[in-house]
Amino acid sequence: MNAVRESMERIQAPEELKQSTLRYLEEQRKQKGDFHAHPVWRYVLAAACLFFLLSAGGYSVYFRPVSYISIDVNPSIELGVNRFGKVVLEKAYNKDGQDILEHVSLKNISYVQAINKLLNDENYSRFLDGDPQLVFTVISDSPDTMMEKINAAGYLQAYGAKTYTSDRLCMEEAHQHEMSFGKYRAYLELSQWDQGITVEDCHSMTIGEIQNRIESCKGHGVEGGSKGTGKNHGHHHGDRH
Amino acid sequence: MKPLKSAEELNRAMEAYADMVRRICFVHLKNRHDTEDVFQNVYMKYMLYEGAFENDGHEKAWFAKVTMNACKDWLRYLARRKWVPLELVSEEKEALDDTSTEVIEAVWGLPEKYRNVIYLYYYEGYSAVEIAGILGKKENTVYTWLARARDILREKLGGEWA
Repeated sequence: MNAVRESMERIQAPEELKQSTLRYLEEQRKQKGDFHAHPVWRYVLAAACLFFLLSAGGYSVYFRPVSYISIDVNPSIELGVNRFGKVVLEKAYNKDGQDILEHVSLKNISYVQAINKLLNDENYSRFLDGDPQLVFTVISDSPDTMMEKINAAGYLQAYGAKTYTSDRLCMEEAHQHEMSFGKYRAYLELSQWDQGITVEDCHSMTIGEIQNRIESCKGHGVEGGSKGTGKNHGHHHGDRH
Repeated sequence: MKPLKSAEELNRAMEAYADMVRRICFVHLKNRHDTEDVFQNVYMKYMLYEGAFENDGHEKAWFAKVTMNACKDWLRYLARRKWVPLELVSEEKEALDDTSTEVIEAVWGLPEKYRNVIYLYYYEGYSAVEIAGILGKKENTVYTWLARARDILREKLGGEWA
């Protein structure tokens, strides 16, 4: 098998690629590094955070979610995010999701880090093999900001994910049915096209199967009679920003 | 939060692993611009990485794994764009003789997981146990992939791949 070695030996990183990468990293360091470069400010910030947490009300403010993200493939996992962008709540809505959360904790890190950790988790990433549909659904007072941050991390491109927004009413209804609000939003959309579909039906379907059914119904111009009269709980943000 | 890696650390890692990162990209990506993007992403992840490396071997294995994952993510992205890069890595192909080109094209024709084990085993000299650790797979799986990859290469390239 020396042929592989001999062939590969000829492939080297060009000096220009190395230098352009080092220049790119220096630019990134300048943008990201100011905070890192002055450790004293980190300690000041840490002390301020500690003071805040120990002060009256700080504890409950920290642990109160103000935004929510539903991440659905087959595993359905919801994250509750506090006003500082940290995940303070994690919940799985099916067996696959529960198995994953038993092995990986997503709490007390930023929601972007949590998504990154989840998508790179070995138990989770096997659900991304093949051609599954990954859907992010966000409930927030500033959904665009959250979407932009998720998009900036490259997940929408890398996984061809779709993004939607929803609302708390939809979430409450979803939880009554023991379903993530991301999947429930998809059910509501499908129910506008397919009058016969039930929440129970959707329990046993993956989000991709629900999305495919929606696309199929749209493609055939099927209208179930409730279109336009049902509650609009969601807004599609497209599959790439 | 650990400070970002220094310019000295980045220079050292660039000299130590750039060729390996480039080769792994070469095994997976056929387009110069894609390679540059993935190459930069890998080193960006290194600059931001907050974990500690036990030794040089651990660091090298980290680079190999991160590069393979980055290539995988990039290919997934390309597949969804349903867009095929037309500009093959002509610069490298010019540097290869006919035999090497044949070998490289045979490796390109392998499924992704086989490409990784062939590269790590035959070029980097990792053992099956070490490859299992890098790829997060069972040792027996690595042996199976190696055997299947060898069979495919033997079929394409002839008997010397015994």
